[in-house]
Amino acid sequence: MIEFKPLTYESLQVGEEFVSDTQLVTPEDVETYAFAVEDEHPWFSGDSPFGGPVAPPTMLGNQALRLRHSRYIVRAGLHAKMEFHFLEPIRHGMRVRSRGRVIDKYERRGKPYMVTEFVTEDEQGTVLVRGQFTQMLFRD
Amino acid sequence: MDTVTAGAVSIGQELPSLSRHPTQRRIDAYSTVRAHSIHSDEAWAQAKGFRTCLAQGMMSTAYVSDMMTRFLGAGFVKGGRMSIAFVKPVYAGDRLTVRGVVKDKREVEGRTRVVVEVTCTNQHGQQIAIGTASGFLP
Repeated sequence: MIEFKPLTYESLQVGEEFVSDTQLVTPEDVETYAFAVEDEHPWFSGDSPFGGPVAPPTMLGNQALRLRHSRYIVRAGLHAKMEFHFLEPIRHGMRVRSRGRVIDKYERRGKPYMVTEFVTEDEQGTVLVRGQFTQMLFRD
Repeated sequence: MDTVTAGAVSIGQELPSLSRHPTQRRIDAYSTVRAHSIHSDEAWAQAKGFRTCLAQGMMSTAYVSDMMTRFLGAGFVKGGRMSIAFVKPVYAGDRLTVRGVVKDKREVEGRTRVVVEVTCTNQHGQQIAIGTASGFLP
């Protein structure tokens, strides 16, 4: 059982680790994402050079970005920076999850920020995407 | 979908731009509708100081990914990289233009990595996201 608590700059610890739930990459999820970002590349619904359809490389970004929601109540925040390395294609039918670790927190111009590095991997542990993001926290 | 050929890329080359329109419906599809979300709860967004709901900054990375996949194809889907800073909010209904200019070509383990400087601007001409993206030539 997870005891959720509000996310605050003070309570956040550098070195904290998070793990997402596992997500099955379904054709419907890919279609919804493609609609949301207006990217209807034919590889996302038909054959691709990788053998079968793939997902947009950025599709699992939200799984990583929401890692902190696995432990905290996050009322609002702003995304400041994002880095992605796309190592392997994300294929329909994969079961994927993200793992992340807080690697820094700092205040700039009176605003608090947290920096998280992450990997997204398939069931076999193959890393599909690696990256890092910086989020500004809102103070209530 | 045609992608670039190795000899056809030069420093300073502009990629075909993309126009994108993150409506509230698309933001809802991207972010899912949740209470107390600046992306889908207008009253909450206004309580946090914004005039209406915001698109997730990360939607801009999807637009850049789209542009780069059109440009490099499989060499972006496997081996692509991106580093983007979100410098201004994007509001529901904004109209964005995504642009890229080739800044560098590097030999990496027998392949050519192409580095593109990318910008997203809104309908007022303000930059909302800036950074670089790269991938391998076919």
